[in-house]
Amino acid sequence: MCDHAGHKGVAVVGLYCDYLAQQEQSTPNILGAMLKQLVNRGGIPGHIREGFQKAKREFGGRGLRLPDMVEILKKSITSLQRVFICIDAVDESTPKQRRDLLESMQEIVRVSQNTRLFLTGRPHINDEIVRYFSQALRIPLSPTHGDIKGYLEMRLKCDTDPNAMDDKLRADIMRIVPEKISEM
Amino acid sequence: MSPENQQATGNINSFNNNNSFNNIVNFITEIDDEGRQILQWLSPLEPQQRHHDVRADRLDGVGNWALETSEFRKWRDEEDGCVDPVLFCCGNPGVGKTYVR
Repeated sequence: MCDHAGHKGVAVVGLYCDYLAQQEQSTPNILGAMLKQLVNRGGIPGHIREGFQKAKREFGGRGLRLPDMVEILKKSITSLQRVFICIDAVDESTPKQRRDLLESMQEIVRVSQNTRLFLTGRPHINDEIVRYFSQALRIPLSPTHGDIKGYLEMRLKCDTDPNAMDDKLRADIMRIVPEKISEM
Repeated sequence: MSPENQQATGNINSFNNNNSFNNIVNFITEIDDEGRQILQWLSPLEPQQRHHDVRADRLDGVGNWALETSEFRKWRDEEDGCVDPVLFCCGNPGVGKTYVR
């Protein structure tokens, strides 16, 4: 996707949710990480700098609350032609984080129409996504035969113990693994 | 640096930050001390690091078919307001959702 971002004014921001990092990935932190990527290259906009100085002065440097974060994000997106927001593994956040995140995103895409949101997750959260984005486009992912073959060939090439390999074993791996995966 | 990266340098395409020495230097010189504090204040998360790892680990071409689907193209290319802005790629654990380019 970054390859298509070669136009001026197009930004791609990416986030990963992770079971093992549920503590840190509060929704304000996730939205803050989007902002960080947006402001990173162009220098920090005045309104964010002022917000920081105010927080430092009046609230002992306390982080932004979620509604403020949403407002700042909307403002930052406005100055760009298009912003692609990609969030991987939405299902790996807690139900509360997910609710806050999807609600915030709903508000952002409603107001900032130049936003595109790319989500990945396991099928069981489909209903939840549809509740917030009833018209969401959907692509079911599963590896193609070519994907699996390419990946196996790459892994076999990196084998650290090539002496243990022979033509028969190689042929068996290339036949059986794709079969088993397509049965899944 | 590839022509693609050169083209992206002037943009806010922050995924490319870790890709070349040049970009890292730019990043450090452009952001002052307070700037660094502000970035930390916005969020302690550093998703670029994970992205860098995923990118390094990815086999080129895997999952590219998903980017050729009409859903993806529509979502990427249509004018604002003519398409739903949300695209959901779903799949079971291990099918490679993270690794779609």
